[in-house]
Amino acid sequence: MMESIGYDDMVRMLRSAAEAVRAQHEMLSKLDSAGGDGDHGTTMLRAMSNMEKVIAAASTPELKTLLHDVGWAILGVDGGATGPLLGAFFLAMAEAVGDRDALDARGVASLFAAGLKGVQEQTKARPGDKTMMDALLPAVEAMHAAAERGGDIQALLQRAAAAAAEGAAATAAMQARFGRARNLKEKSIGNQDPGATSVSLIFKGFKKGIDAHA
Amino acid sequence: MRMKKFINNPDDLVPELLEGFALAHQAKVALTGNNLVVRAAPKPSDKVALVTLGGSGHEPALSGFVGAGMLDISVPGEIFAAPGPPRVLEALRLANREAGVLFVVLNHAGDVMSARMAMDLARKEGLNVKQVLTHEDISGGPRDNPEERRGLVGCLPVIKVAGAAAEAGRTLDECLAIAERMERNMATLAVAVSGATHPGTGDVIAEIPEDVMVVGMGQHGEAGGGTQPLKSADETAEIMLTALLDDLNVKAGEEVLVMLNGVGATTLMELYIVLRRVRQLLDEKGIALARSLVGEYLTVQEMGGFQMCLARLDDELKALWDAPCNTPALTVS
Repeated sequence: MMESIGYDDMVRMLRSAAEAVRAQHEMLSKLDSAGGDGDHGTTMLRAMSNMEKVIAAASTPELKTLLHDVGWAILGVDGGATGPLLGAFFLAMAEAVGDRDALDARGVASLFAAGLKGVQEQTKARPGDKTMMDALLPAVEAMHAAAERGGDIQALLQRAAAAAAEGAAATAAMQARFGRARNLKEKSIGNQDPGATSVSLIFKGFKKGIDAHA
Repeated sequence: MRMKKFINNPDDLVPELLEGFALAHQAKVALTGNNLVVRAAPKPSDKVALVTLGGSGHEPALSGFVGAGMLDISVPGEIFAAPGPPRVLEALRLANREAGVLFVVLNHAGDVMSARMAMDLARKEGLNVKQVLTHEDISGGPRDNPEERRGLVGCLPVIKVAGAAAEAGRTLDECLAIAERMERNMATLAVAVSGATHPGTGDVIAEIPEDVMVVGMGQHGEAGGGTQPLKSADETAEIMLTALLDDLNVKAGEEVLVMLNGVGATTLMELYIVLRRVRQLLDEKGIALARSLVGEYLTVQEMGGFQMCLARLDDELKALWDAPCNTPALTVS
């Protein structure tokens, strides 16, 4: 049972998320070629290396500072909507974590819920619109449900990763209503959304980062 | 097929192009901070400043509009992608002054999001910034649903008239009102005949079959419907102008500006042929072609096609359009 996570665990999660994205960045760009301009993988790659740089440069082991710096670093990626959305996720988490240096399962679930809220403040996209929201929302809800059932942190992240992957896969059947892909209208059906896929990779990374050390 | 472009490491596209751009136009612009494009000779600080943001790969837009009579600062993003909020905030801080800052944003998801976040942060810092959003692409949806309409080359007339108003010492609210009036009174439609290559990824964007043209393409060739057999210059001019006149509800006796913006592979020869037909059609309807502008202002690499921007002019907008400016992409003396 993993009852709580602290700074070192969060660093492992983030680094592992970066690895998961890096391993698949070519696939992300390929998915983006269908509806966008084929650069989502490179944008995510830049976001993840920005993130790794601030992790490596961190001088104080505080969750709040870590999450804030990661959020700001991702915002700094000049890659269209990806930076603001993903950056807002971590910035909102930083605000929510406050001065705590460790989080139990419920704390982790509410931290991610705060992150989701931060993203929702930036976009009107809802589940079904074929965006990152289709992976993020189910992942956060799955965490919440697992925490309510008394699951430990590994269980939370496992459920979240599964829900995000499922949500991302489901975007293939959807018609895009946001971003550049929406101009394709019904032609956007059939391709998995790159943003949702990125989110599912990040959650897969979070889970792996914790599992490897649990 | 490997893309045929004279580039180096794709990761260096933006810094390298900005370095060359600033060098080529060093009498007018300079680079500062984190690759912000500013005027070589700053505008007096008692006048409103104009700032914009937008992806790269569309040269000369948008940094080409930095200079006397138009923009003060442009924040270039990555290829076809908006800059992130930190650099936009940096630009707003740099531009901030008592007279205020007019922030011109083209309606594209990333630009809007980045701009909003930067604006929120700027307001928290007490910066005096007001935003105008351009969304004049009529293929996006009806006029009463502006959120669906993208910002295309219409940003140029908006920046031109608002920039002239700022130069003349008008207040921020007056500059904003002028920008918004120009925005409300313009409409753009794009036609594409061939796709482009993303210079960073080598991906072909917007593959267009032979013998067809697509009316209603967005800035990057995002599909927008309107695929039809390729037509002559005269027929294409008529299809596009008719749609624009309808959208703006232009009546006989009114004066308009028509801009034809080549997006990369379409030649000036073709644009001149189209403009001539536009003039004939307007004459038939009793609408005066008061001003026109033909050239490459907002491109999409080697994409073939052009954007037609129609704007209704009044006396004040006309005078502001005629006011002098001196930028890399547009000079009026």
